Amino acid sequence: MNEMIVQSINSIVFSMLLFIMAAGLSLIFGHTNFINLAHGSFYVLGGYIGITAINQIGNYWLALLLVPILVGLLGATIEYLFLRRLYGKHRHLEQVLFTMGLALITTDIIRLNWGTYVVNIEPPILLDASITLFDAQFPLYRIAIIAAGLTIAGLLWILIQRTRLGTILRAGVSDIDLVSETGINIQVIFTGIFALGTALAALAGIIGAPLHGLYPGLQFEILVLTLAVVIVGGLGDLKGAFLGSILIGTVDTFGKALLPEISLFLIFALMAIVLLVKPSGLFSARGE
Amino acid sequence: MKKMGNVYAWILSHNVHVLAILFILAIGAPLWVTTYTISLLIEVLIFSIFAISLDLLVGYTGLPSFGHAAFFGLGAYIIAYISGDNELTLGLTKNILLTLPIVIVGTGLMALLLGILSLRSDGVYFLMITLAFAQMLFSIAMRWSAITGGSDGLIGVPRPEIDLGLWNYTFESRTAFYYFVVIIFAAILFVLHHIVNSPFGLALKGIKSNQSRMKSLGYNTLYYKIGAFVIAGVIAGVSGMLLAQFYWHASPENLYWTMSGQVLIMVILGGVGTLIGPIIGAILMRVLPNIMSTHTHNWQSYMGLILIVFVLCAPNGIMGILSKRRNKDL
Amino acid sequence: MKHNSNTSLTYPIIRSYSRRKLLKIAGAGAVAYAGSTLATACSIGNDVSGTDSPIRIGVLLPYTGIYAALGDSIASGLEMYLDEIGNQAGGRNIQIIAEDTEMKPNIAQQKIRKLVEQDEVDIVAGIVSTGVLYGLREYFHNNKKILICANAGGNKISRDMKSPYIWRSSFSNWQPNWPLGLWAYKNVASKVFMSAPDYGAGHNMVNAFSHSFQSAGGMILGKQFTPFPSMGDPAPFITEIRKSRPPMVFCFYSGSAAVAFVKAYNEFGLTKEIPLVCSGFTVEEDVLPAQGSAAVGARSGLHWALLLDNPTNRQFTTAYKDRTNTDANVFAVQGYDTGKIISHMLNEVQGDTSNTGKMLESLHQLSFASPRGPVILDSKSQNPTQHIYVREVKEIDGQLHNAVVEDLGEFTDPGDDSLG
Repeated sequence: MNEMIVQSINSIVFSMLLFIMAAGLSLIFGHTNFINLAHGSFYVLGGYIGITAINQIGNYWLALLLVPILVGLLGATIEYLFLRRLYGKHRHLEQVLFTMGLALITTDIIRLNWGTYVVNIEPPILLDASITLFDAQFPLYRIAIIAAGLTIAGLLWILIQRTRLGTILRAGVSDIDLVSETGINIQVIFTGIFALGTALAALAGIIGAPLHGLYPGLQFEILVLTLAVVIVGGLGDLKGAFLGSILIGTVDTFGKALLPEISLFLIFALMAIVLLVKPSGLFSARGE
Repeated sequence: MKKMGNVYAWILSHNVHVLAILFILAIGAPLWVTTYTISLLIEVLIFSIFAISLDLLVGYTGLPSFGHAAFFGLGAYIIAYISGDNELTLGLTKNILLTLPIVIVGTGLMALLLGILSLRSDGVYFLMITLAFAQMLFSIAMRWSAITGGSDGLIGVPRPEIDLGLWNYTFESRTAFYYFVVIIFAAILFVLHHIVNSPFGLALKGIKSNQSRMKSLGYNTLYYKIGAFVIAGVIAGVSGMLLAQFYWHASPENLYWTMSGQVLIMVILGGVGTLIGPIIGAILMRVLPNIMSTHTHNWQSYMGLILIVFVLCAPNGIMGILSKRRNKDL
Repeated sequence: MKHNSNTSLTYPIIRSYSRRKLLKIAGAGAVAYAGSTLATACSIGNDVSGTDSPIRIGVLLPYTGIYAALGDSIASGLEMYLDEIGNQAGGRNIQIIAEDTEMKPNIAQQKIRKLVEQDEVDIVAGIVSTGVLYGLREYFHNNKKILICANAGGNKISRDMKSPYIWRSSFSNWQPNWPLGLWAYKNVASKVFMSAPDYGAGHNMVNAFSHSFQSAGGMILGKQFTPFPSMGDPAPFITEIRKSRPPMVFCFYSGSAAVAFVKAYNEFGLTKEIPLVCSGFTVEEDVLPAQGSAAVGARSGLHWALLLDNPTNRQFTTAYKDRTNTDANVFAVQGYDTGKIISHMLNEVQGDTSNTGKMLESLHQLSFASPRGPVILDSKSQNPTQHIYVREVKEIDGQLHNAVVEDLGEFTDPGDDSLG
């Protein structure tokens, strides 16, 4: 029974990590209707740049703050230079192609700069401790991840519910031509969304790296998992991303623990079922 | 570029000569080129079949499938399981007269099932659901080791043979297998050409350009889409079968979503909506990385750059470039 | 520029095609591919006939991917040996041509054909992962090309899928783990929980340990097979391990998975409570720096250890450190010995690499001194007969290394599945 509780905490930890990733993708996918297959690459980039930053700066917390901003700026630049030419419902295939190209380039950049060996981020000294849970050790760092996830959820909620930008987003605006007639500079907003989304991905990368390490292929694994969350939770919906993360995180964790043979299968089965039954997402307010 | 347009126009108007040249080239290739080039040709042909089958969905029917690898990999596993020489497999026969129908039926049934489920969705949702189903098959292949050999896959897949009882022949050697692939390639191209020019094919194009209009004209678009999905799935399955026979190995890698992505890229790079575009895409995606990776470890970035350049400059793929030129000449 | 949907440009063209014309278009495509591949063919312009030309060794390793570090180490070891003999054997110069498998069987299929048919290599060396080895087995066998496998331990290659052309300089997955099972039962605990990645190698290693452990009277509390190639967050698995309250845990992981697992094992407090006895790769020198103090005290079984005290090893480790500025690891040793084996073959035929039969003959019961101790290439399993050591991770001068705790003696893969 104790282990069940520990596994539940494990699943919440993983869910929070997924949430930070999924929030970013949900924002991008849901509001700009842009399929970003490079989202996983930003996650991994965040992790690797984070390592360098921590080593150079010497301060984990400073790096934690700066790296997402840096990656967000990178994302904004890419959006401004290239991606904005690719918006549009009928251009999904081109978006797929382009972002896959980005992902491939990122793979080599990472290999050139950081080599092919396994690299690690250590948790910050402050958090490199354990608490005692049911006579056993539980890493404090993971508890901190839960806190981080909740904090970010809170901040995003404020952004969506209490700011003008949020109002625009909540209105479900995704058609450039329609909105530009109302005078809102939708281009800037889209750039901002992309910047925020990639910044969140990078943040998730730094936070998640101590859990599983950074290795080639990670960007695609995390991307597919995040896609599953966003589909299950609903596009463009913060609450959906949150609840979707919890669902996928729980299925993944308990699946691995209890039914390791089919845990991977379950996640995609879940994704397929949601797409069949309620494509807009299990938790989104929108209907068909 | 104008010159290319002229060459293109010349090719179109001198059909018989070009066909003769190509026929001689294809049949005679093993005499002139190295065995290594033959293996490149075999791979290009196999992936061309795979890519053309996807183009039937993407280019002609307007269905962007991100899970086409499901049928490719399934075809490989079916042939491996039926004819492979392995502790895990049945190893029943390598007689192509028996195994090919089994592959067709097997992948056809799976395509029917997945098609009925997936085709209720459109656009991005269709993209995602095909991805999800393909990943489900991938996870089954990876974990159900007792049947699929797990992540190691199934080895011992033999080359196909024709067994008519009194007489049999095995396409054992590289060259023999090459001709086998050429024959299947030609047959599939022939069949698809007829399909896309038939009323069925025209209906598909109609669905791509304006589905609601087709519906209002009385077409049961769902049936047509399912039909296209099944045909595409079966052809992909056949190409997967060929790959397994070529490599003597069926691997779960053939089901992974990056394989779906690769073939999608082939179709888009080459140019959707044509039969030849995917062939060009297959050449690019198979031959180019091979050559590049010998000269540089950074070949992935160059591939990435090529993709990006294509999207920005040539969204209609290579066929788009060529046909644009031709339009201009007209 | 507003972008139109794809249809408008291409439809008019397609509609105007007649059947013959379309076949011609297909033909044009065929010309394109024939042309490009002919160009490829023509770009090969090397005449490798004659004994003045160098002997070409094709090296097939993962230079990218999760096992890339292993590939690098093997390559370094091999190159170091070849440098030691002046890059010459059998009276000819030796040239290495390397290709990257990316640990993917399909990619490896392309690369092996390039190496053997385009680059016309005489011998092939390398291959890290069992999956790739199994995938390529038919190629080597059907094309009668010699492979000296420098790592992949898939049992089948020494057993039911043996080929006269494939020999190993490394180990079989059974080999380091079977003796460890006996040792663990006598020295650590009589019950065990096992964890390994869900692929051929993982199952091989678990089966080997289980076989001897159970034969000695031990009890297996549970087995856990984690997703391969990456298990993601190890936490759920660690928690499951704790649930069965085992007195000992056996595991096999390599590369990044090994780092993640051992660190999580420590973070959840298991390192202090539950002794970890693992397959040597889990705590080998390549992953120790990343694992840090989490690995201290872990016992493992392997056919080599950095601090193994014999003259060949002392010389090897010093030379390797000088050359690469990193500590040697078991993969480098295997690469090094691969060089030794290949040079022996070449010397036996005096550089006449067309004499495949004689080269293969020279391998049967070939014995040599390796950094790992005395090695004999066993005829039946086509795999080294070698000593297996129990090692322990210790901190020495501020650094973590594997020190030898016990030499379990010489072991040979049985060549069949009788012992797991």
